[in-house]
Amino acid sequence: MVEGPVGQTVKLEQDLRKGVLVLAVLSQLRTQQYGYSLRQALAERGMPIEEGTLYPLLRRLESQGLLASQWQVDEGPPRRYYQLSTHGAEVYRELTGAWQSLTSVMNRLVDEEG
Amino acid sequence: MDDPRAVIETYVGDVVRHLPRRQRHDVGFELRSLLNEDLDGRAADSGRPADTSMALAMLTAFGHPQEVADRYRPAGFTVIRPADAPRFARLALGGLVLQWAITLPAALTGPVRTDEWIYAATWWGRLTTWWFTWGLGSFWWPGFLITLTLISSALSRRRGETKSWTPRRTVDRDHVNRLAIVLGLAFGMAGAAFMTALPWLAVWAPGLPQPLLDALAFDPRFLQERAVWVLPLWAAGFGVHTAVLLAGRWDRRTRLVSLALGLGWLALLSWWVAAGPIFATEAADDTAKLCLLLIAVLVAVDLVATLRRTTASIRPPVVQA
Repeated sequence: MVEGPVGQTVKLEQDLRKGVLVLAVLSQLRTQQYGYSLRQALAERGMPIEEGTLYPLLRRLESQGLLASQWQVDEGPPRRYYQLSTHGAEVYRELTGAWQSLTSVMNRLVDEEG
Repeated sequence: MDDPRAVIETYVGDVVRHLPRRQRHDVGFELRSLLNEDLDGRAADSGRPADTSMALAMLTAFGHPQEVADRYRPAGFTVIRPADAPRFARLALGGLVLQWAITLPAALTGPVRTDEWIYAATWWGRLTTWWFTWGLGSFWWPGFLITLTLISSALSRRRGETKSWTPRRTVDRDHVNRLAIVLGLAFGMAGAAFMTALPWLAVWAPGLPQPLLDALAFDPRFLQERAVWVLPLWAAGFGVHTAVLLAGRWDRRTRLVSLALGLGWLALLSWWVAAGPIFATEAADDTAKLCLLLIAVLVAVDLVATLRRTTASIRPPVVQA
């Protein structure tokens, strides 16, 4: 079934955002956050991510060794806080370099006159 | 269920049910805590207390429990690759249909296996008996294929499929062996000349024993009506092979002509066999027809091979001016 132009654009935009999701999450976990606070921090900065996508992603990144986590009790119920691991910080630096190079190339490509 | 927390509790239970046991408590506790906070956030944003409809709306957006559980798991492995899926489906379903095609007619027409059931001899009784024996039993084949695929997939993962591609054997199916074509043309022309002269065997080989001459005597109607059509096919065949010999390779046009000639040969051989006697004596006629049927099978095999080679070559696109 062929999607309409609007549905197709939404789907392609989702695919585009999926590609930068990990970098966006890693960028906010230079300081420790728990799931809900991270989601709010991203949303406030213009990068809303669905809960159903974000929370499992945190677990997957942790299992890949990019994040470290621990349970903490501050105010309210116990919360699992996540932060970049040493390996995650290295990966984040490399990804940031790749992202800057990519955006520079993409800017040139989309700004080029046809 | 009026308590939105109970809705969340049920949802979390459904999610963790699909997770490995070692993860269930940890993920379940965190997910419940996060969902409760999300719900509180939504209630604060909307300016009304949280209720079940608000919880359900949030959980619907969160996703089906099984999908959410999938997201918590690392990416799985592929059992059947997309490129292999159509072939796998054909093989699995083809094997199933083949078994049914063999066993069903036998079950419907063969002797009844049991007399303990009074309806065993009726058509639907036979069908029922077949279904619970061969019909369902035939599903061993797709299961067997899946098992083999799983083993193959596990072995591939263990070996690590990072080897770069190397050609197994460079195949140029269109290239021809000129010597073979020359020899084929020479033998073909000699054979055609011999077959053309065969009706006049008694004239150019009068020394042969009479029983042999009688045995090789053609049916007059065959010679008048059917035999002559072999000449254009031979001529066209020699023409195509000469063109291929000169070019040094097959191309799409010569393959298509070869295909048409193959079909022509099949039609002619079928006509010869079906339309009446070829030789005057019955023994020679039966032997000749058996030989012609064998030749027809070879022509059919060659036809399929030519068809595959013709369609396998990558055709250039049609470019509009």
